[in-house]
Amino acid sequence: MPLTDLNIMYSGRKGPMLGLALRTGLLTILTLGFYRFWAKTRLRRYYWSAIRPGGIPLEYVGDPLEKLLGFLVAVVFMAFYIGVVNLILMYISFAWLQGNVAAYLLSLAGLAPIIFFAQYRARRYILARTRWRGIRFGLEPGAWGYAWRAMVHWGLAIATLGLAWPLTTLWLEKYKTNHTYFGNQQFVQGGRRGMLFGSMKHVYYPLVLSAVAGGMAAAFDNPAWLAAFLLTVPWGIYGLAYWRADSFKRLTEAKELGDMRFRTTPRPWTIIGIYALGWFLIYLVFTGLVLVATGLVLAAVGGGGGSFDLENPDQIEAMMAAGAPIMILIYFAIFLSYRAMTHAWITLPITAHFAEVTRIVNADDLHQITQRDRDEFAEAEGFAEALDVGAAI
Amino acid sequence: MTGAPTSPVVFADFVAGDRAVLTRVAVRLQTEGVELSLPDEQMLIWPWADVRAEPDQADTETLVISRSGDRLSRLYLRDKTLQSQLRARAPRLGKRDRVITFPKLMAWAGGAVVSVAAIIFVLVPMMAAQLAVMLPPEGEKALGDTTFEQIRMALDETGLVGTPICDAPAGTAAMQAMYDKLNPASDLPYDVQIHILDHDMVNAFALPGGRVVFFRGLIEQAENAEEIAAVLAHEIGHVVNRDPTRDALRSAGSLGVLGLLFGDFAGGTIALFLANQLINASYSQSAEAAADVYAHELLDKAGVSPAALGTMFERLLAEHGDAEGIVAHFMSHPQMGKRIAAAQDAVVEGRSYGAVLEPEAWRSLQTVCQNGAAVQPDTNLPDKKAWPDGD
Repeated sequence: MPLTDLNIMYSGRKGPMLGLALRTGLLTILTLGFYRFWAKTRLRRYYWSAIRPGGIPLEYVGDPLEKLLGFLVAVVFMAFYIGVVNLILMYISFAWLQGNVAAYLLSLAGLAPIIFFAQYRARRYILARTRWRGIRFGLEPGAWGYAWRAMVHWGLAIATLGLAWPLTTLWLEKYKTNHTYFGNQQFVQGGRRGMLFGSMKHVYYPLVLSAVAGGMAAAFDNPAWLAAFLLTVPWGIYGLAYWRADSFKRLTEAKELGDMRFRTTPRPWTIIGIYALGWFLIYLVFTGLVLVATGLVLAAVGGGGGSFDLENPDQIEAMMAAGAPIMILIYFAIFLSYRAMTHAWITLPITAHFAEVTRIVNADDLHQITQRDRDEFAEAEGFAEALDVGAAI
Repeated sequence: MTGAPTSPVVFADFVAGDRAVLTRVAVRLQTEGVELSLPDEQMLIWPWADVRAEPDQADTETLVISRSGDRLSRLYLRDKTLQSQLRARAPRLGKRDRVITFPKLMAWAGGAVVSVAAIIFVLVPMMAAQLAVMLPPEGEKALGDTTFEQIRMALDETGLVGTPICDAPAGTAAMQAMYDKLNPASDLPYDVQIHILDHDMVNAFALPGGRVVFFRGLIEQAENAEEIAAVLAHEIGHVVNRDPTRDALRSAGSLGVLGLLFGDFAGGTIALFLANQLINASYSQSAEAAADVYAHELLDKAGVSPAALGTMFERLLAEHGDAEGIVAHFMSHPQMGKRIAAAQDAVVEGRSYGAVLEPEAWRSLQTVCQNGAAVQPDTNLPDKKAWPDGD
């Protein structure tokens, strides 16, 4: 029975995701951050299981305790690095450069290889704990190789003010993909060097136009130039969505897994629509909350009788002191609800869109792929967790 | 087929975890467990106690079933009736297999605690002490400049302009005269800069690079100029011993580690924390004692009674029973009484001590923050009756 094509179905829904993110977020706050390993695991289980190529869900089998252990392992090593390196950098920056900015930049540069290293290790852990049809994905070791390549390519991108970003993206994607396995079958990332520059065109055009129009508007007093200059902003936003969709399409369609290929048709306007709707909803919720909170405060102040005097600094101070725990609570509530709403109204619909427009073609030999060994990997994604540079989910 | 089936046969997708292939299996719920009949006539029984369901699944139509101890096999069950029967009969659907053993976790947790403690309490202070001595004076000054601005910003309630510096010329001159009389220049690679900040706090502290900061609150609380001179001499003692520099370097190292633990890694709050740390600088008791000893000598040389340091602390302690500002800082030192006694012991028998400032200069110093404000009445306060024909 030839399978040939497999469509990717998506079964994640916004409501359950909002509930899950709120519940796990609340537990994280109540446990002073301790629950975050469980929260992350549960969110990933949901996100992974929502993606169903050919009807069979992906499975995330990562374990929260293993993440906690990995974090502890990372702390043992990172504490030394951060403590000693921070101290030495501060010394150097003041002894030789007499400035604080230098120390900050230096410490960032000193951290960059560690950050890339951590990102690769996190990817390795996540892939090792991802399965489909009972078969493990995997990423070959090579974090330091990735770290120095990423340093070079990022350096190039920064030196060209971001214009070479498509090249950086492609090179790093090639390194990552070519080290990725599904079972015993290796992925291959094809594509020539210039492949992704076209995806960036709607970023380049408005950049050029804004430079020209901005210069002209400054030189001549013609409102048409100013209008053209302002027009580049929405164009640039479209350009970013176009880059997201088109670079994904070009990269995905140039990926190979044995004889299997991938076809995908993400739409920039859908991406813009998801972000616009998501942010609009978040804005609505926060506006509503602010209105309710203002009403409550006014009621409380008014209910206090005539004794409250806004001119009296002592009373304001007393109120501030009493309000401090409430302020902290509000801060956490905002943080928590924002995170949950972003998951439900932005991350999930974006994932859904990319999944639903993607197809696996020529999948006849899928059944020949065999299992790979479990990657034990005690450190899990500890370094990424410690540096706070892990995946968004 | 023998034996009455306890449920009708339902077909479901099954993966065994050896090849990426889906197998159609016949599923039947038996008394002892879930029975799977594979196409090759093989029969699997998953005992009820071992049946697990994967949690947090997005697809509510499908129940993903696994067997405890078997990491790879999965059964994708779509039949609703069978799902509910299975849920009713499997007692431990939600239980998870543990991958990490408790002792292993505890060992690494212990390792993390030990490593962080060793770095914060041993390694970083040692290196900070070493580097503080090696830091060239210009570096120290730059460090002091940065932290001074951060502290001014941190203390200002609006957080926008920074706490004002009191600079009435007569008061500043009085402070300078006091410093000149103490004359510690031979001990320092740079001049000491003294600042008075317009803030209620009863406190004073030293910053790297020879900055000494007084708060208005402390100057107002002092009974005479000698007490201020004593505090100044004590803070100069910290400067001479490089205590602030050492503390700033130490904070940079240990705060980085703390940020790592709590997840606020690159946060800007660290800068604030650093400033805060310096204000409430709690040096070691030996550092405080060394600064005291230095102050005694300096005061004695300048012809001011070293006992002034003791009386300053003593009176503040008596006046402010509650713990705030400098009192809290010094009360946290168990040897407070000892330090007051030490100041009195430092008085040389038979030596006659004089005043550090003329009475006129002392008055200027006490009003150093009233530059301008005292001259013109504040017309904004309603109870001042600024308008004679107001009522």
